[in-house]
Formats: sequence, C-alpha cells, structure tokens
Amino acid sequence: MLGAFLITWREGIEAFLIVGIMLTYLYKIGQGRHGRYVYAGTAAALAASLVFAYFSNLLEAAFQGIGQDLLHAAILGLATVVLTQMVLWMHHHARELKGQLQTRTDEAIATRKLWGIAFLAFLGVFREGVETVLFLWGLVLQTRTSLMAAGPLAGGLSGLVLAVLTTWLFFKGFGHLDLRAFFRVTGILLCIMAAGMLASAAGRLIAAGILPPLIEPLWNTSWLLDERHMPGSLFSGLFGYRSHPSLMEVLCYTLYFPVTLLLARWYTARMTAARP
Amino acid sequence: MRLMRLMRALIATAGSLLILSASPAIAGPGHDVEIRLTLKDHRFVPAEIRVARAVKVTLIITNADATVEEFESPALNREKLIPPGQTITLFLRPLKPGVYEFFGEFNPKTATGRLIVE
Repeated sequence: MLGAFLITWREGIEAFLIVGIMLTYLYKIGQGRHGRYVYAGTAAALAASLVFAYFSNLLEAAFQGIGQDLLHAAILGLATVVLTQMVLWMHHHARELKGQLQTRTDEAIATRKLWGIAFLAFLGVFREGVETVLFLWGLVLQTRTSLMAAGPLAGGLSGLVLAVLTTWLFFKGFGHLDLRAFFRVTGILLCIMAAGMLASAAGRLIAAGILPPLIEPLWNTSWLLDERHMPGSLFSGLFGYRSHPSLMEVLCYTLYFPVTLLLARWYTARMTAARP
Repeated sequence: MRLMRLMRALIATAGSLLILSASPAIAGPGHDVEIRLTLKDHRFVPAEIRVARAVKVTLIITNADATVEEFESPALNREKLIPPGQTITLFLRPLKPGVYEFFGEFNPKTATGRLIVE
C-alpha cells in the first residue's frame, strides 16, 4: 500500500508542478480567468494518457525496440523548448513589471501565449500520465482477482489525491511572495526542470544508440543521492538527477543555463526594440 | 602489427570459446550477447546474469505479469516501461567489471536483479 502510494504521489507531483506554476503565474498577473487553458491542457493530457494506455497492446512498436526511447526523447525535447519559451516570456515580463501597473499585462497576454501555456500543461502531465494510468490499471486488475490488492489500489489513488494537495499547498505558500520574487523562484525552478528534461532527452537518445554518451558513467553519486529511494527518485523525476550520468547528459544539463541566459538577453533586447 | 592483431583476436576468440564452453551464462570478450529475462510474479528470472567484460550486452525483457513494470537501473543509466505481456530491448555498451543492479520501479521489493561483469 505504501509502495503504491509513494509511486503515484511522486508521479503526481512531477506532473502537476508545471500545472501549478502556470496557474499561480496567471493568477499572480491578474489573469486567473485564463486558468481554463491550463485545465484544458491537463484534461487533454489525462484523456490522451488513458487512450494511449488503453491501446498500449496495439502500440507495441511504441514500447519495443527504440520506439519508446524516441517517443520519450520527442516529448522531453518538445517540453524543453516550450518550457524555455515560457521562461523567457515570464522573465521578460518580470522586467517589464518593474514600476508598472499589473494591468499592462492585460494587453500583453496574447491568445498564442495562452495556447502555449495549455500545451505546456499538456506535455507536463502527459509525460507522467501513460505510466501512471498503466500502473493504476494494473492495480485495478489485481484487485479484481484478489481482495489483497485493494490496499495498493487505495494507496495508489490516495497518492494521486495527495499529489494534487501537495502541489496546491506548495503554491499556496507562494501566495505570500511578491510578484518579482515569485518570478525569480519559479524562473529558476523551471530552468532546472528544463535542463533536466533536456538531459533526460539526451539520455533517451543515448539509450537508442543515436547520441554517443562520450563517457559513461562520468561519476557515481549514488552514495549522496540514490534514485531508488526518496528523495533521490523525486529529484530524478523533477530535475533530471542521475547518479551515473554520461558526459553527454552532464554537458546538456550544464550548457542549458548559459544558453538560456543568452537567449533571455536576446529576447528582451528584441522585445524592447520592437516597442515604439 | 597485423600479425599481432590477428594473434590477439585468435587468443580472444579461443578464450571466449573456452569460457563459453565452461559456463553458458558467461559470454566472452568481443562477442555481442543477447540475454533474455522474464518478469514473473514481479521477479526477474533469472535474477542474476554474468557476462565477461568488454561485451556488448543486449537485454531482452519480457513482462509475463498482468501489470505494468518499469525497468530501472541507475548504475546502467537506463529506465524503460514494460507494459504487461510486452517485451523491451535494452542495448548496453561494453561494461567495466563490477556489479550493476537493476530493479522494477513498481515492485522494488521483489523485482531486483544484478548484472555481474567479470
């Protein structure tokens, strides 16, 4: 029961953190009513996860061979791009908001950005969705054959509920931060998540034999943080932590930050120049 | 130089043949090996695999259970979902001697195994 609970709790937090950031962000800039875009993305991801899990028998190609690695790499790569765009946009706004009224964002928030937010929520949830649905469905099947499995199923479901509550409480805490502090904290958090996704995408391509690992493993930090237990498994899911990373993954992770910083400068310069 | 290389290759082949004939679970250097594992009752069968160093290992894992499992190994830097009844393939680089543990993320207490590189 505890095992199933911990699994869905962790997967849930991994999935809902981005959703929480997007919702809190919209709320903070006085655009809470646009939260429905985030909910729509989340709902679409849940539906897609259910469909994907249901047809997993037919989609054998997606799991066998390198299909699964390519699929994961695609989702993670796409999520990195969308997340980075969102960070750049939020960073730019944080600068804009200095000494300005929040209402200015009213005009700045274009429908295209809202679809971007919906898409990001979709990717964030779908990334963990298929796995979690398959896991829970397995527990349902076991419960049908023996009542002994009712405990794990209850654990799995309550883990998911608690994940929603945990994320909600986490962002409730953010309510006290002023806007600029919120931007800074979530900006850094999202950047670390994006770097982790990029490195994980690289890891999947290495597993598929498409990217060279260069040196593997570069080091072993399992004595410090082990992915097999909490909190190592949560760090692995949220921030892309690996105890035995390859040089390629480490390069992707570390190079992500200076590249994004340069992009942020370029983005701000372009946006400032575009304004009359 | 070429003779040296040929000699080395011959010795390696002879050595691996010797090892192979001595124990079918161990594969010699220079050979790619395929190892098949089955997940049954949330356990890996076999739970322990031995290979020689410098061998390219392909792990083929079939999930014979009715529930999903995720193969995970921080030491091998691999994770992969195995839906019920399905088979996955993991391509591993030639490994240094050592013990590489792996486990099923959804049943970490029972589904554990080790790849021993000698």
